[in-house]
Amino acid sequence: MEVISVKNLSFRYNKAESFALRDIEFGVNTGDFMLLIGESGSGKTTLLKMLKKELAPYGDFVGEIFFNGNKIDELSAKDSSSKIGFIMQDPDSQIVTDKVYSELAFGLENLGVERELIRAKVSEFASYFGLEDKFESKTNTLSGGEKQLLNLASVMVMNPEVLILDEPTSMLDPISALEFVTCLKRLNDDLGITIIIAEHHLSQIYELADKVVYIENGEIKANDTPAKVSDLLKDKQIEYTLPAPVRIYHKLCGEGDVPLTVKDGKKFLFKNNNYYVNNSIKEIKPNPVIKVKDLWFRYERQSSDILKGFNLTVNKGEIYALVGSNGSGKTTVVNVISKHFKPYRGKLKYSGKLAFLPQNPRDLFVKDKLEVDFKSINNSYKELCKKFEITNLLSHHPYDLSGGEIQRAAIVKILLSSPDILLLDEPTKGLDAFAKKELGEFLRSVDLPILLVTHDLEFAAAYSDRCGLLFDGAVTSENRSKEFFLGNNFYTTPVVKMTKDMSYGAVTVEDIIAES
Amino acid sequence: MIKNLHPFVLFIYFFYVIFTAVFTFNPLFLLPALFGALLLLIKLDGVKIIKVSFAYVIIFILIALSNPLFSHNGATVLFFINDSRITLESLVYGICAALMIVSALVWFNCFNKVFDSEKIMYLLGRIFPKLALVFSMTLNFIPRMITEFKSIYNAQKSVKQSRIKRYTGSFSAVITRSMENSIVTSDSMNARGYMLKGKTFFHRYKFSAVDAIYLCVFTVLFALSIVWKSDVTFYPVIQMNLTSLNYISVIAFTVLTVLPFVLEVKEALKWKLFLSKI
Repeated sequence: MEVISVKNLSFRYNKAESFALRDIEFGVNTGDFMLLIGESGSGKTTLLKMLKKELAPYGDFVGEIFFNGNKIDELSAKDSSSKIGFIMQDPDSQIVTDKVYSELAFGLENLGVERELIRAKVSEFASYFGLEDKFESKTNTLSGGEKQLLNLASVMVMNPEVLILDEPTSMLDPISALEFVTCLKRLNDDLGITIIIAEHHLSQIYELADKVVYIENGEIKANDTPAKVSDLLKDKQIEYTLPAPVRIYHKLCGEGDVPLTVKDGKKFLFKNNNYYVNNSIKEIKPNPVIKVKDLWFRYERQSSDILKGFNLTVNKGEIYALVGSNGSGKTTVVNVISKHFKPYRGKLKYSGKLAFLPQNPRDLFVKDKLEVDFKSINNSYKELCKKFEITNLLSHHPYDLSGGEIQRAAIVKILLSSPDILLLDEPTKGLDAFAKKELGEFLRSVDLPILLVTHDLEFAAAYSDRCGLLFDGAVTSENRSKEFFLGNNFYTTPVVKMTKDMSYGAVTVEDIIAES
Repeated sequence: MIKNLHPFVLFIYFFYVIFTAVFTFNPLFLLPALFGALLLLIKLDGVKIIKVSFAYVIIFILIALSNPLFSHNGATVLFFINDSRITLESLVYGICAALMIVSALVWFNCFNKVFDSEKIMYLLGRIFPKLALVFSMTLNFIPRMITEFKSIYNAQKSVKQSRIKRYTGSFSAVITRSMENSIVTSDSMNARGYMLKGKTFFHRYKFSAVDAIYLCVFTVLFALSIVWKSDVTFYPVIQMNLTSLNYISVIAFTVLTVLPFVLEVKEALKWKLFLSKI
């Protein structure tokens, strides 16, 4: 039975000239895992918000939305808030209260559930979501991934039939994102919760979906199984967001079943060998601009060491990517190299001026318009803006820009102070795959030595020249990027996992070239 | 542990003690009040109390000395300063006032240590549920704002600017961002039924038999100390008529003030004993 069905829905924001959504029609069956994809600005968020009465935007509205056969605006306020759960992008702002247990109880309090029952439910869900140890913690001490899990748990505690999620993992690092998505899949499998999720990080979630709806300029262009939809996305901008096996399949003009997982991708490549591999490596001459030698650092006298004999060299003309998992000391490295903290032992030298791009590029902007912000540093901003194609953004408020745009603007802003070295902290956070590609090419065109510290292995593989693995406060392995990723078994890209046993040298989808 | 008592019982206890100490204004009550408060603070805070006690001593001396300097009532003249009398009565009055204020301060300090945000929220929430929610939201919001301010401020460091400009710029950016975020927060609240009527209030406290017993004990001791309290007159000469009933009231109040400390020590001993048996 269709739990949600949308009939002939069109929507126009107040005073807007064009429709944000046009003739939308689809249905979701009970227990479905539906993935909604589309470029930013295509109307994904508007559509999802229309499905939740409390969040529906104001404007002209044609068509009907049904929930379990009843019109959604005839649903009682109580049913509407408990039966349809909604989770948004920003893990921080969705949290209302100061303690984990009170956040979990918030929805049930609103529903007027008895205290004893709240107690029972809250403890049950806290243990299901692995938040038991954090039960009495303050919400602002949680990590981003834990916060988003808390948001999920505090919606789930109200016992919804449908869960709507609007890009829930876009602010998380890849590992927390995978954890979150796995948790969603578990809810879907264990409890049969219907899930409608909009996402632009498709590499992990695409294979899990029962059906994919592709929306373009407010219209549904495809509504089918993941494999079938992927064919329609060929040669569109959004193709970059698809999992690597699908992209290789497209590139080699494959036939038969579309491979969605690494396993199927490997099988596909065994059968098709109409490709060769680009295994060229860019040579870098040693000419160090950053030299870090035997660095030791701890935050407090009594605490344990975070950096334990950390060594690093970045050469002129190279992009160096420092990768590592949570808790390996990446943030500390950034803080020490940018001289926010001082190491207690070791040498840190760099030639020239170092400019630092923070994890949240919005932090760099304090004025209402980009142009005002740029002017306050340097009057020759116009040339740089032209070179990096952000002239059309100059009159915008920094918070109105998309993730990719603000990232580019932020880099332009730090370039204005004419630095000699760039230090980037998690530059791909919150970017979709296409914006990442643009950012990578942008970084190449900047033509400065760059040190980037990141979780994002695929980005590091595609755009860095050398790569180092940070583990337990020191760089434990280091090599030219291609060799680095080819040498790893788990800590590597899906393309390496797929091709390793057949042909040596491919790290990214771009390395695989079809024979003509 | 005193912290494990029901918040309502705890609140009543602090009310009894502070009320009695402040409104009797009698050294026989003020001395045990200060003594009991200091004992409890030492138990709760440990060695750190030395830092705070320095401030208490200064406040005590300032208040105790300022009264005889400005008030010259009283029959017993001790000495003269610039032709103005310094009297014994006014000095004693000053000391009593200092005792009262310092003991109240120490009690409030203990109150602060014992009453975490959850207990305050519970007391508030029983009467004003919305106020409790606002309190909780503020406790979540402010640390977040500070973190954001720090990261914006640090990001500005790579751009050449005067420190004041950096501060004001970061501050206004943090305000704008908080307003943006609060839209998301309100969406998240509405999505989880904040607009519904007939809310309940969730808390993790249970009024147990032990709580009832303590409430009774506290109330009896408080009643005894209030009913037979003795009055003091300071001017023109210090007078205090004590009957045996008054002694009972002083003893009752002393017991009331040291009770939490005794409880804490008893539990600690029990724990040690328990460990030694294992």
